[in-house]
Amino acid sequence: MRGWFAALLGVATAAALLFLTLPVVAIFVDTSPARLLDSLGEEGALDALWLSLKTTALALAIIVVVGTPVAWLLASRRFPGRALAVTLVELPLVLPPAVAGIALLAALGPEGILGGALADAGIRLPLTTAAVVVALTFVASPFYVRQAQAAFGAVDRTLVDASRTLGASEARTFLRVIVPTAAPGLAAAGALALGRALGEFGATLMFAGSLQGITQTAPLAIYDRFATDFDAALALSAVLVAVSAGILLAVKLVRGGEALDRAGA
Amino acid sequence: MLELEARTPVGTIELDVALTVEQGECLALAGPSGAGKTSVLRIAAGLLKPERGRVACGGRTWLDTVGGVALAPDERRCAYVFQEYALFPTMTAWQNVAYPLREGRRSARRARAHELLERFGVGHVADARPATLSGGERQRVALARALARRPEALLLDEPLSALDSRTRAGAARALREILAEAGVPALLVTHDFAEAAELGDRVGIVDAGAIVQEGTATELAAQPRTAFVADFAGAVVLTGTARAGEGGLTAVDLDGGGTVLSTDAASGPVAVSVFPWEIAIEGGETAAPSTSSPQNHLRARVTAVTAVGNRARIALSGPQPLVAEITAASAERLALKPGTAVVATWKAAATRLVAR
Amino acid sequence: MRRAALAVLATAAVGCGGDDEPGDLVVSAAASLRAPLTECSRDGEDPRIRLQFAGSDELAAQIRKGVRPDVYAAANTKLPDQLAEEGLLEQPAVFATNRLVLATPRDSRIDALDDLERPGLRLVVGSEGVPIGDYTREVLGRLGPAGERAILANVRSEEPDVKGIVGKLAQSAADAGFVYRTDVGAARLRAVPLAARLQPEVAYGAGVVKGTDLPEDARAFAAGLRTGPCAEALRAAGFGRPHGR
Repeated sequence: MRGWFAALLGVATAAALLFLTLPVVAIFVDTSPARLLDSLGEEGALDALWLSLKTTALALAIIVVVGTPVAWLLASRRFPGRALAVTLVELPLVLPPAVAGIALLAALGPEGILGGALADAGIRLPLTTAAVVVALTFVASPFYVRQAQAAFGAVDRTLVDASRTLGASEARTFLRVIVPTAAPGLAAAGALALGRALGEFGATLMFAGSLQGITQTAPLAIYDRFATDFDAALALSAVLVAVSAGILLAVKLVRGGEALDRAGA
Repeated sequence: MLELEARTPVGTIELDVALTVEQGECLALAGPSGAGKTSVLRIAAGLLKPERGRVACGGRTWLDTVGGVALAPDERRCAYVFQEYALFPTMTAWQNVAYPLREGRRSARRARAHELLERFGVGHVADARPATLSGGERQRVALARALARRPEALLLDEPLSALDSRTRAGAARALREILAEAGVPALLVTHDFAEAAELGDRVGIVDAGAIVQEGTATELAAQPRTAFVADFAGAVVLTGTARAGEGGLTAVDLDGGGTVLSTDAASGPVAVSVFPWEIAIEGGETAAPSTSSPQNHLRARVTAVTAVGNRARIALSGPQPLVAEITAASAERLALKPGTAVVATWKAAATRLVAR
Repeated sequence: MRRAALAVLATAAVGCGGDDEPGDLVVSAAASLRAPLTECSRDGEDPRIRLQFAGSDELAAQIRKGVRPDVYAAANTKLPDQLAEEGLLEQPAVFATNRLVLATPRDSRIDALDDLERPGLRLVVGSEGVPIGDYTREVLGRLGPAGERAILANVRSEEPDVKGIVGKLAQSAADAGFVYRTDVGAARLRAVPLAARLQPEVAYGAGVVKGTDLPEDARAFAAGLRTGPCAEALRAAGFGRPHGR
């Protein structure tokens, strides 16, 4: 009678693990290594992977460069409207991808709010590689900003005060003290955004379309092959799973290192 | 010379302080936590901007709310040693010390940082990260870092509180030397009167945002202007009502019973303060009150006996609680333990009276 | 092992039909049939009809992976024929026809296929394997190699279904695209008709999925697509009558 709760925990955990891992395992069970290499040899698949990596890297660079100061501002300053700003930054987090796609078209499409201004500047975003980057940046940036904000929030504020009294300006303090101290958390934030961007599907399809080598990222390529070449879709999925798992592992290692640093204290 | 005047609300209290620290002098502000001591340091450093105030150091105005001057923290040449030292965790000890050094080549700055660490007796930890250092080592690295800029003023927040009791005595001695050598005004805050007395040339007692009394530690202990100062300085404080007594002395009828005599003149409601080491203990319920010189005798029971080195602190419950400090040997001889009935005695001349 | 993996996938695919009560007639139909089929199978039916819409190819792939609706209605005849050959579908029948048009945003000045060769023009088409994509390639194939190449060079997106093409045209994200005539009205697009010699035969085939629990109801529904209220709804939406087969 006493053991029933422990048994319940065990059963629930076993069920959850089975449910979460079986589909992922199925991808690999259904893909022979030879078939996997074959599919990667296919020009379209490599194009898609390469495009995914390229656009994701670009989006991540934009997210980190712009998002890091934003996260610090939100973490360190109290100002009227801050709660609203935080909510607005986090909003894309809860938007369904399809809504994100519609929203981007409504904002930056030719018929959108900024469509006229962009057209005057000679820019037509939809159906271009740039549109993919815009879509990835839009959906992935909240993941980064939110996590980075938490990482900055955990930085001991007396370090900032110490730096200022040691003659460092706000900017120098930020670059030399705050960012290095928050670095492990920022890396985790980056990995989270990277994972989200790499898996982006709906907003990309709606805003950027799907064309091999231009806008067809790996998830779009998988979907494109779903009906016509299921094996190829599986193989490409397997590669994407491997890449994502690699990112997750890297984050765990960074986090682990951080924990070791603390243990050394 | 460091001059500071500030009036500003801080949390729930209204801070209102004015102080001056001479070149080479150390003013220690002592008070309970929440009294606003740290806010004074933050105002001096520019980390907190008061509603109204003025800060000047070495002939330069750092802050003047009337004149519209407010230098940023990095524009004030003052060294701030934080309570937990605030060493940068991602840098080694020497990198921490080199952080404020901006001139010269990297190799020169590195050499200077090593030299400073050497001077503070922690040269051997130059390449270690703060997380691996002991409390004493951290304190020295923090001091080396603070002094690397050749500051015009030194601000110290509870410099010894992060240290364990064994390290503390040595660290206090070293700190006194460092302060003397630096030759700049030093402002130190602490919640411990003994620490303030040990490190400060002068001590200011801070209560609820104001400096209630300022002077040497001895002056404060001997002539507390308020019951709070007396209590904070470590005296036993009893309450009662004063009236004229025999032989030109003042008699105080204590709340709860008993009467004590004092050489101070007073009348009406007063606070009676006496230092624990002035109180002697005579054992046994049956023992007749001594007729020797102490004129104050209060019957009490022992509630606790705490050994402090070769001394013993005896907590007593009489008409009002009081504490006596006697030698460990006497405590032994009297076989004091909780419940023992004793008489606490002290001289009328050691009894300070402050109007309530 | 393989079988187990497929079962998992099938479960995942069917997940959207979790509220599937036994006794409901499940119809998997091409996305382009949404309006008329929703119209004609609304109320008071017994058994209750549940419609699910997606790209025809996607629905076919689901059936191949073990998902079992009762009726499959596709935007071509190729997919139902293939499923029948694979023994997954009873003999399919054509129940409607459609025409391909060149669609553009309202304010476009494109009014002939030649205009699609203009450099810099943004064309969206269906991707290969999707009915609309295959029909589009059929049309382009009849233009001759030079024209086909010039037009294909302007393709900016290959969409997995018609909705993607219509949506991008409606938002002016693209300048032109090939869609079914029946898609143009609701999206308020401009349609440029294609010459008869270019027009592919767009026929919709439907069949009863083998092993259905409700064979009679399924067959009745499939027949109703040719004659009953659903046939009328299809005509009203601009679909043509079945001919030939």
